[in-house]
Amino acid sequence: MERSTALVYATVAVIVGVTVVSGPSVGLVDLTTPRADTTGLGQGNATIDRVEAPDRVRLDRGFQSESYRLEVPDARVHVAAVTGRPILNYRIEIDGMGYSRTSTFFLDGDDTGWKTLSFEGTTLGTDEVTRDSYNGTLSVVVRASDTETVVYRASVPVEVVS
Amino acid sequence: MSVDFALGRRWAGPTRRRAATAKRLLVRALVGDRVGLTLWLGTLAFVGLYWRVGFFITDNYTLANALLALSEGSLAIESAPYGSLDAPGTSVVDGSHYGRNYGQVAFAVPFLWALRGATTVADPGLVFATLWSLVVLAIGVQVGHLLDRPSAGATVGSAVALVAFGVNAAYATPIEARLLVPAALQISAIVATAFAVATAYRLLTRLHGRRVGVAAGALTLVATPVGFWASVPKRHVFVIALVLGVAYALCRSRDASPDGPLSATGFRALAYVLVGLLTWIHAGEAFVVFLALVIVDVPTAPANDPRTLAIVGVAFALSLAPFFATNVLVSGDPITPPRSFSGYAGGSEPPAFGGDSGAGGSSGGSGGTGGSGDPGSGDPGSGDPGGGGSGGSGSGGSGGFPVPFVGRVTSFVGTLVGTAVWLSTVLFAPLVDGYDDLVANPGKLNHIFGRGGYLSGVASRDDSQAIYLTVTESSPLAAGLVAGCAAAIAGFARSARRIGTANRPVASALQWFRDGRRAPAAATDAFALLTALFFLLTYATRLPLHAMVTVRYLLVLFPLAVYGLARTPVLRRVVAKQGRLCVWSYAGGVLVGAQLIYVVVAVRDFGPGEAFQLHALAGLAVAGAFALAALASLVDERADRATAVTGGAAAALGTDFLLLSGLFYFQYGPYALPLVDYLAGLLGGV
Repeated sequence: MERSTALVYATVAVIVGVTVVSGPSVGLVDLTTPRADTTGLGQGNATIDRVEAPDRVRLDRGFQSESYRLEVPDARVHVAAVTGRPILNYRIEIDGMGYSRTSTFFLDGDDTGWKTLSFEGTTLGTDEVTRDSYNGTLSVVVRASDTETVVYRASVPVEVVS
Repeated sequence: MSVDFALGRRWAGPTRRRAATAKRLLVRALVGDRVGLTLWLGTLAFVGLYWRVGFFITDNYTLANALLALSEGSLAIESAPYGSLDAPGTSVVDGSHYGRNYGQVAFAVPFLWALRGATTVADPGLVFATLWSLVVLAIGVQVGHLLDRPSAGATVGSAVALVAFGVNAAYATPIEARLLVPAALQISAIVATAFAVATAYRLLTRLHGRRVGVAAGALTLVATPVGFWASVPKRHVFVIALVLGVAYALCRSRDASPDGPLSATGFRALAYVLVGLLTWIHAGEAFVVFLALVIVDVPTAPANDPRTLAIVGVAFALSLAPFFATNVLVSGDPITPPRSFSGYAGGSEPPAFGGDSGAGGSSGGSGGTGGSGDPGSGDPGSGDPGGGGSGGSGSGGSGGFPVPFVGRVTSFVGTLVGTAVWLSTVLFAPLVDGYDDLVANPGKLNHIFGRGGYLSGVASRDDSQAIYLTVTESSPLAAGLVAGCAAAIAGFARSARRIGTANRPVASALQWFRDGRRAPAAATDAFALLTALFFLLTYATRLPLHAMVTVRYLLVLFPLAVYGLARTPVLRRVVAKQGRLCVWSYAGGVLVGAQLIYVVVAVRDFGPGEAFQLHALAGLAVAGAFALAALASLVDERADRATAVTGGAAAALGTDFLLLSGLFYFQYGPYALPLVDYLAGLLGGV
């Protein structure tokens, strides 16, 4: 057998071999581990002692679009202490539009100090955005062990920028 | 031990020889040659990079449920593990639910069985990485043989395959077993795409040599949205693979060599057989392809004697068997496909071709008068919001099928003729409607081919996002066809002048037609042109539409555009003389361009619609430059360098769209390759 042919067969043997050895019928090793460990999520508690939230939110006319992008600036929270794996929510509600959106963060035991909370942008249609401005409410909530603790809640102007 | 060894040797010899012969025959029949095989494998590897296992569009639920049912031996869908029985495209006949595109679903069944088999010994989270590494290894081996350096190819292929496998194994996460059904549909679509690419290569290699063939095959995948729909298991890539197959068979039927695998008649029959198989996927689209094929094939065929026609006809009839059988099993009527029944009109998926609109409107007229009756197809509840049904009956009638006349004829001749006329009315109505519509609204062509932008009627059903790209916006390379058209028109004008100034113009014109009609390229050109035109007319009334992304109803136009580009002499000259510049420009456009677009989208926090519009504007700018440069190349060879640079950039923008939409804009499921899944997670979403 030529050397290059042997090399090809050896490569196939390694790839298929490792796959089978880690597969359900042999199962010597498990190579597939979930990227995020979800055990104990939402249990424990967190102490937030300072919150820096934005004082205005914008609805910008989208690039080459007639729809609007909701731009919520980041909030920063200072985590004084964490036990377990509590959940942190950053939430915006827009009155007069019936719109709300929540972004979720997980805290771990060593997650103390300043933490930035952000929103992924979102698009709203022209049928939803009909006024020049709205009243919004921003809030930061700690959810742990089936209790919700509102650590920040304030109204914020939502400006529509065409 | 020694006996075993000796026996092994004795058995291995002939078996191995037979296997090698079978492999050679298979490669030759399916992908042509080693280059075709490499392109085929390359397609699998490329699409695998951004293959997300899951559902991109709601009517894929229908196909997944149908595949699951069919893999258990049933056409009817008993339950809907994916989505719901209300998913767009699911239809109800006599209380049973059915899917559609059964040809496509049937093609996916062996892939599902194979995946199920593989996952009894392999973890679903790792099996795709294993397959991908094996494909990469095969590419290494093939490229090594092509470059006459087999040992280097094996070494590099092994190294890349092993490293990729190792890294993927390190990042592997579990994948749910229930995703194997959509995964089987997706693999079958990727394989169909690979056949389309290999067939484009074979077709253009036959006409213009290997260099042009490779370019055409590769560009079909990476420079057009064909790559986008390759892992979205809708009908489109299957249609493309079959249409390219028809074009190839048509071409071969005109220049078949005596020692070839099939005679001229054999290739001609093959063309019709591929159309017959297409009916099993989408009868309406198969009809327009059939129409284009007949119009081109019959007048230009080398022979139309009864024996030839009988062979072609029998082969075609046999190829329709699966389509008829499926229809009989579902509806009891061989010519009524499941698609023509009214399903659930809601959802994000637009109602599909002909069956709903044209059929509903037209059959009401002739079915009522002639009594030919196909009440199922006349279902008024098709729910087509575009009003295609009513338009269908009106203009269809005025377009040459007067309904009262049909009524008189059918009352005399009976149900058979009535059905035939009804059928042709139904079948032709979309074409006639499309023509009327484009004449009435020529501006629509701009929304299909030119600038789309934010179309409020479309965006409102696309989550307020302007995620609709026109043909040129999604594949700026297509703009080069301007030069092809200009050259073709100039050529016709020259011929016309020569004929006009000849002593006997009519005889001269006939001679011109006789000279040209036997040329393989002429028949293929005409077929490509007619197919593109018929698809445009068929879907004109419904476009622009939501859930199209890249005018997917017209996806077949993209490979046909690449064919047109490859048939343009001036562009072939650019590829031949400035090939290196083309490649450098393309590489720069991908490596730099994709990053630039990514940075703009990320920094400005664009949503998918805005990102699409960025692609659209960049695409139109480069498309304009490429079109101008290609036109300049027509008159002066000194423009070739500019044509090479702009052409490479235009192709690169097509690739940028594939990569960014695949890795960034639409992250709808776990990536087949764990490393890519991890990296896409780092890129974030839009």
